[in-house]
Amino acid sequence: MSEVFTATDFRRRDARDKLRGRTRYTIDRYLPGMLHAAVLRASVPSGRIIRLDVSRAARMPGVRAVVTAADAPGKIGIGIADHPLFARDLIRYDGEPLAAIAADTLVEANAALTAIDVEIEPLPAVLTMAEALAPTAPLVHPDWREHEILLAGEAREGNVAWEATVVRGDVDSAFARSDAVIVDSTFRVGRQNHVAFEARAVVASYEDGRFHIETSTQAPWTVRNATARLLGVPASQVRVTVPPVGGGFGLKFDIAIEPFAALLARASGRPVRLVNSREEEMLTCLFRENAEIRIRSAVTQEGEIVGREAVVLMDCGAYGGEQVFLTTMTAHTLGGNYRLGSVRLVSRAIYTNTAPNGAFRCCNGVYNTFALERHTDEIAAKIGMDPLLFRRRNVLGNGDLGATGQVFEGDVLGPMLDRMDTMREAAAKPPARTDGRLYGRATTVGTWFVFVGPSAATVNMNADGTATLVTSGVEIGSGSMMQALPQIVSATLGIAPGDVVVRAADTDAAGYDVGVGGGRTTVSLGAASLAAAQEVRKKLLNFASETIEASPDDLVMRNGRIEIAGAPGSGRSITEVATLAQAQIGPVSGTGAFTGSGVPAMPGCVAGHFIDAIDIPVFAVHDCEVAVDPETGHVEVLSYKVVQDVGRALNPRAVRNQIQGGVAQGLGYALHEEVTIGTNGRVCQNSFETYRVPLALDVVPVETSLYEGAPSVGPFGTKGAGEVPILNVGATVACAVANATGKRVQELPLTPPRVLELLLDLKSDLSFPHIAEAWAENLVRPHNTTG
Amino acid sequence: MVVNLTVNGDRRSSAADPITPLVDILREEFHLTGAKPVCREGFCGACMVLVDGAPTLSCLMPAALAEDCEIRTVEGLAVGGTLTPIQAALEDCDAVQCGMCFPGMVVTLTHLLTVEPGATRDDIRAALTGNICRCTGYERIVEAALLAVAVK
Repeated sequence: MSEVFTATDFRRRDARDKLRGRTRYTIDRYLPGMLHAAVLRASVPSGRIIRLDVSRAARMPGVRAVVTAADAPGKIGIGIADHPLFARDLIRYDGEPLAAIAADTLVEANAALTAIDVEIEPLPAVLTMAEALAPTAPLVHPDWREHEILLAGEAREGNVAWEATVVRGDVDSAFARSDAVIVDSTFRVGRQNHVAFEARAVVASYEDGRFHIETSTQAPWTVRNATARLLGVPASQVRVTVPPVGGGFGLKFDIAIEPFAALLARASGRPVRLVNSREEEMLTCLFRENAEIRIRSAVTQEGEIVGREAVVLMDCGAYGGEQVFLTTMTAHTLGGNYRLGSVRLVSRAIYTNTAPNGAFRCCNGVYNTFALERHTDEIAAKIGMDPLLFRRRNVLGNGDLGATGQVFEGDVLGPMLDRMDTMREAAAKPPARTDGRLYGRATTVGTWFVFVGPSAATVNMNADGTATLVTSGVEIGSGSMMQALPQIVSATLGIAPGDVVVRAADTDAAGYDVGVGGGRTTVSLGAASLAAAQEVRKKLLNFASETIEASPDDLVMRNGRIEIAGAPGSGRSITEVATLAQAQIGPVSGTGAFTGSGVPAMPGCVAGHFIDAIDIPVFAVHDCEVAVDPETGHVEVLSYKVVQDVGRALNPRAVRNQIQGGVAQGLGYALHEEVTIGTNGRVCQNSFETYRVPLALDVVPVETSLYEGAPSVGPFGTKGAGEVPILNVGATVACAVANATGKRVQELPLTPPRVLELLLDLKSDLSFPHIAEAWAENLVRPHNTTG
Repeated sequence: MVVNLTVNGDRRSSAADPITPLVDILREEFHLTGAKPVCREGFCGACMVLVDGAPTLSCLMPAALAEDCEIRTVEGLAVGGTLTPIQAALEDCDAVQCGMCFPGMVVTLTHLLTVEPGATRDDIRAALTGNICRCTGYERIVEAALLAVAVK
């Protein structure tokens, strides 16, 4: 079927309207009679609600509805249901919602918020993971034992929201070996804000006894199910539709403000619009979490990693949210890239009285890859081996075991390193450097994966020879819905990709889907779409075989025709066949479903994990060159190269776009993007003025090589391409800066003040007293060290 | 008080408070939602419109200051179904992703190509520093602008 992918540079159908300002995103929807909503948020990080009286606010001009915790009885979460819609009794973070109001205008809604009588008794707060893990720390959830458990196998206690462990082999023996040296490293990273350009936005209505939610989300089914759970209604009472989404990056993979609008719509009987202000968006982002990492390895002088152990603390903020799920990822990020003789890892999601964190492109992976690759360079330095040689010696190859005992298929990372060598050698030699800056470069490797999960699709063949694809997929900008999926359907049906109409997500019309994220769209939705298109193809060929008088097996669909294989121009047009079929046997459609079967871990090796092993590994090799100004600490990235495992690139230009964009976002993370929490518990970066993202002059063109042919169960051998480009940017820049300066880089981002501190030796080595020296003492649940 | 505005060649008036940001009048009264209020403090460029031919942040401009000016929004650039050269180049180069920043990008680049028809790569990158894009990493946008320069 390879000839059908001739349109590999297929352009997106949505570009023309986006370029003319005609696209109606959720923030552009204004319905007749619509009310405007605003949310009252707490301004203390920890406190007890003494009084919350909305009666005066309800009488304010223009106010049509007021809702509070009494209207939303449920709690949500992943693994544990710990998160109510509104604070009840206890406030756990600055910015936590207390009440919501809908009024005729936004000015009136905001004015009414100030008329809510609220009295709060401040309570002691824990703002850092060190504070949260102190023996006498106040509990963020004093009632943690009463939370409903949604996934068996939990290990948690006090301010430890969730814990996941990996133990494979005898690490103690490895560390006791006389021929091994021990390398011990510590790292920390800050929070990153997605800065999706479209703030989270929703327009909700209450129609015929059901909620209709139009929202800017990546996961319509999550919004449907979580809204229903919070409101205490059956999920079937909620319909979610999704207009084009103005950026996601993982921010919109979880529910956000949808239930407030839904409640207000039901209470008022009018459509309700709720859009986060940029300040609300900055303060309650669901950031990429801050983390603290200790990693130790036992390595022989020959460069064999005989043992590795790590403790990863992930700040989940006031509620577990996606961090609970993400504790799983450490097994595949810190435990990835390299062959390990034995390994034990613990990843702990820690409650603090801060705004909750969430998923962000390569969630958990970017900082663990930073830690792992810096640690790898420290190992190479300790044993006196070239860092590239060390990597080449140890990267995962065909038949190698991953951290959880998964057997990897195919040699991928090794040949990708070779390809990077070729790219480096082919590059123009840099000019002579006499400007006094410090120059360095680094090459790193990264292991990520496609988050598979269930997807459904329906393809309806239209009598005019076009096809309509119905899924719960969402176009968030990556082009998967606008390019890859139409290409897959068109390839199967032998029609032009422009003749495939992609229906916007509607949970009433399409089957279940986990959501657009985790690099899964082209793989999971693509596989479901392929299956649906194949069913249509089969039905059409069977029908056509009677009129063309040939066996269905001898017929092909290509170039808009159903014809006898090897006889171009024979047979009939697809339009003719589709029209006849509709009249004689009824409209032709097909359905498809897909999910990953799951790769098992070695028995007894993992505990508290949501995924035992990775279904579709994705690899990346990055290389960059930096110049560091010793006077200012400013880091300039001079060149950037990527070799990325894409399985198969259906649309190479679109894939390269994703890589350029992902690297740019990673450069922000590496060099200047950091969200910090003030001593008052409030996020310090509340606007674009205080949180700087990369501008056009900060970014270099990324030289890209797409590595094809690695094993994948994705349709036509595809893998997700949009998630992984950010994975090892922080790692690569950090290693390059360490090489340029000769200093031990332990933190990201590498802001000028931080780099100056390194250069002037003003920075002492990081230490984490709240991480116990003995690995096992960091566990809530002891893990059998013999596996 | 009524503010009189000329938007994409049409005379329009608004009874809103004259200090209302222009972007809100355009979007909420005239339903021209191309200009996006993303940061509302003049940093991101997504609300850029042309006021008497000059790129202007409509989130910072009180509507009254635009009285009697020629305002052109992204919706008013292409005539009929024909894209302008920069819009066509952005489409040809597959530069668009989520698209929220593109109304502002298009306005900025339209102005640049008017005042500097031979703009270089460095000129284009410098001109774009007032327009933040979170998706693309800018490179394809710069390529598109160079293409538009070349085909002019």
